[in-house]
Amino acid sequence: MKALFAFTFAFLISAGAAAQDKDAPKDRVLTGDAKCTRCHDENDTYPVLAIGATKHGTRADGRTPTCTSCHGASDAHADKTGKGERPKPDISFSRASKTPMAARSDACLACHQSSSRMDWQMSAHHNQDVACSSCHVVHIARDPVRDKLAQSDTCFSCHKEQRAQVNRPVHHPVIEGKMTCSSCHNVHGGNPKQLVKDTVNETCFTCHAEKRGPFVHSHPPVQEDCAICHQPHGTTVASLLKQRPPFLCQECHSHTSHPSQAGAIPSGRSTSTSFLGSVGRGCMSCHTNIHGSNSLQNSATSGRFRR
Amino acid sequence: MRFRKKISLFAALAFAPAWAAAQEDADLAALVKPQSEASAGIGTWSKDRPRLGTYDGQPTRGAYGLLDAFINRRDEATGTWTTLEARNLGLETRELRADWGRQGNMSAFFEYGRTPRDEPYTVLTAVQGIGTATQRVPATQPVTLGEVRLGTVRDAVALGFSKIIGGGYDFRLSFKNEDKTGDRLWGRGGAAEFAAEPIDSNIKQLEAVLAYTSKVFQVQGGYYGSYYSNSIKLVDTNTTALNNPFFLSQPLDNQAHQFFVNGGYSLSPATRATFKVAYTRATQDEPIPVGPGVPVFAGAPTHLDGQIDNTLLQAGITSRVSNAFSWLASLRYYDSDEKTPQARIVQTAATCPTCVDNTPLKLTTTSGKVEGTYRLQQGLALTGGLDLVKQERRVPFGNLDPTATFDAQRYVPWRSEVDETTLRLELRRSLSETLNGRVLVAHSKRDGSEFTAGNEPQVNMINPIYLADRDRNRVKLMLDWTPIQPLTLTFNLEQANDDYGTSSARPYGLKDGAAGMVSIDASYALSDNWALNAWFTRDTTEATQLGQRNASSGAAEAVKDAKLEDNGTSFGAAVRGTLVPKLKVGAEFLYSKNVNRYPETLTLTGAGTAYPSAPPVFAVGPLKDITNTLTRLKLNATYALRKNADVRVDYMHERWQTDDWSWLFADGTPFTYGATTDGTQLVQPSSQSADFIGVRFIYKFQ
Repeated sequence: MKALFAFTFAFLISAGAAAQDKDAPKDRVLTGDAKCTRCHDENDTYPVLAIGATKHGTRADGRTPTCTSCHGASDAHADKTGKGERPKPDISFSRASKTPMAARSDACLACHQSSSRMDWQMSAHHNQDVACSSCHVVHIARDPVRDKLAQSDTCFSCHKEQRAQVNRPVHHPVIEGKMTCSSCHNVHGGNPKQLVKDTVNETCFTCHAEKRGPFVHSHPPVQEDCAICHQPHGTTVASLLKQRPPFLCQECHSHTSHPSQAGAIPSGRSTSTSFLGSVGRGCMSCHTNIHGSNSLQNSATSGRFRR
Repeated sequence: MRFRKKISLFAALAFAPAWAAAQEDADLAALVKPQSEASAGIGTWSKDRPRLGTYDGQPTRGAYGLLDAFINRRDEATGTWTTLEARNLGLETRELRADWGRQGNMSAFFEYGRTPRDEPYTVLTAVQGIGTATQRVPATQPVTLGEVRLGTVRDAVALGFSKIIGGGYDFRLSFKNEDKTGDRLWGRGGAAEFAAEPIDSNIKQLEAVLAYTSKVFQVQGGYYGSYYSNSIKLVDTNTTALNNPFFLSQPLDNQAHQFFVNGGYSLSPATRATFKVAYTRATQDEPIPVGPGVPVFAGAPTHLDGQIDNTLLQAGITSRVSNAFSWLASLRYYDSDEKTPQARIVQTAATCPTCVDNTPLKLTTTSGKVEGTYRLQQGLALTGGLDLVKQERRVPFGNLDPTATFDAQRYVPWRSEVDETTLRLELRRSLSETLNGRVLVAHSKRDGSEFTAGNEPQVNMINPIYLADRDRNRVKLMLDWTPIQPLTLTFNLEQANDDYGTSSARPYGLKDGAAGMVSIDASYALSDNWALNAWFTRDTTEATQLGQRNASSGAAEAVKDAKLEDNGTSFGAAVRGTLVPKLKVGAEFLYSKNVNRYPETLTLTGAGTAYPSAPPVFAVGPLKDITNTLTRLKLNATYALRKNADVRVDYMHERWQTDDWSWLFADGTPFTYGATTDGTQLVQPSSQSADFIGVRFIYKFQ
């Protein structure tokens, strides 16, 4: 009898506690998240609670959002009872979501429109129906696209040509994790090629400022656009050149004498320029300061980047 | 005894929910608390890998330390983050970054990183003074060659600070200091002989930004400065007999100062306007170094007084007029105006045209874009766009011969105006719940003003690639298909064809070009524990290039017709999964093959041989194909020793093969600089294969 009483008493306490929990779901990670976390947890198809370990989950910062800040009030989804398919949240970010891409980005831009994202709506990504959530994963502690080693995988999921190029023998150190796509590209920006600086050259000068000049003897395509000669993502030619000399140089130069030579390699040692346009550094064996020269030598050939 | 059991049972039942709740709270606390981890281990490469180890700090065989850490702490009460991330501490590629920040208030960071670049070729040389500004090439042969490894190292330190001031304002400050040292391939310039460019330079960058942010208006303005300095201003090269001096100039110190303001204003929830204004002044006014004994024109400047002013004005507006229609328009003006005073640098006779002046360039690019997207029913979206680019360039004429119709200082025909117009049309459609497609077609037309002739008739027979008339047609097709839930396939096809304007008066240069790509990606989630993905890409680039070869060294005058090709085939596959709960495994495979082709036909139009000949040396053409093949297999396994500690084992096999003849004579022996001097050779194994195995202990904590 005593045992029965004890069981009954314990059951009531237990049930009471459970009932109390059920009646008043508590916030678990974010302020006001109980509306969602009463059903969703880390065992969901889309785990949600780990967001607590991110900047978005820092409750001491009064600006941090709650679930409905990004997903909308979603009352129809949350309050669904009875049979039938549960309506989707007002804003969802999955691959199969019906939420328009612009609306998905708007959810982020409500807080993140400033800084490098001011021009997002003018960007090629936005206008190609890429949303923030196409690249960013916000519910996990470390967003892969913000990791130097992992970022390029995200970019290459669309940019297949660049994925092939970075594996060519001559490339910027992207696959080695020393640079990322975002070292050169502001993927949220609206300028041509979505570069971190206003032009190709200004972007290149952030690391290659020695090419900025001005030089005593300037090479016009260098002044205009590094990408006339260089393919920055990767090539099979030294110095990331788009084409091998002499063909590269002969895209602009049609001089008499040795610059007009056909592609050929010498059978043996020679100092004749007619033999050396394809071998070694090709034309740059002599025109070695091809980006610009500061020589004052009073020689008719001084303007040809040889000194 | 029985009573005690009953009490225990009672207690267990009574407090079970509380215990369960406590456990749940503990699990949740662990889940939402930032994680940290540190790992240490050792790995070893079985062989040297100069090509594939160019940038990863592991170019030679042997053991390397594997030391990484990510320490991430958050003070829950104040929202203060303290993060320390260390990568590759046991390698030459080491990096360290420390962040501290009170979220929503202020933050600061410190960052250090080293980026090595090891030259993949081994230099066999007797050139003296490599690494210095005085280099001597052997004047006589034979010589005993020594092995030299060239390479550069960038050491960068960055600091940053940001503060939310309040009232919508915030301030950001960053500074980066990067030293670059080492040596890289170079040439003696005046003669086709070897030299190594000594590098000892520094780039500093400073940026300060003040920003204002409200719900509808965001604006920021600031200063960005970039300052380059070079310790080596001039390199003295000569033969060991001191009978053939060449002084090679180096980049001189320069700096650029930029002031900018950019912002965006949301006129309504559906309409947004943006703008940017930036002004940059770059200068270079160092004393121009001259080697002893070098003749200098009396009127040449001692300082260049170089100055380039760049002005950017940019504005755009975009609007979603309705759910069905959106549009955008933008206008951009970028003016790069070199204001360096024009000066005579070279004048070797009383009269020109063998004079050389500096050539300050003014290039103004005005571009605009109008684009509209109409979203029809059934997931159909149609986008039409018009892009306009107008370039205007100006260089002061030099000693234009008044009796000739050409500019004697110009080596390439010149065009002051180049305009390009692009029309594009894109159709996006959700073909079904599981199939999305996209098709883009675009046509561009580029033309411009009349060419200004250069310094000799043949110079003017070419259409320079970046100035030439060009018609470009592009097609892109993309399909994204999820036939069953765990399987996703994407298919991309791209093709672009260029047709360059040529004429009987200007027949040379690129005639046409084409670039194509086909790519297929597949990802498959076998289960919660296993995932696969694979991809294949085939890309091709082709160009037809015409030119005239002049009679030289016995070779006849000829018309050249080269069909240049770059063909790439890449394949990748990866699998990752959990074998047993404590053992996770992964594998990656990459295959990349590139074939470059250089067939060039010569139609002889004069007397002589097909290729130059100066017995006993003769030139051999056309150039052979070059094939580069990379194969890489990576395997890894991570075993959980306990909840917070793993052991990870990595294995990698990589193989790179090439038949690149860049540094070879026609018979396959190493190309050797000079005929009676120098003797330098650059060599690399045509096949490089190496295996790596590494093991590391990973400790995780909070």
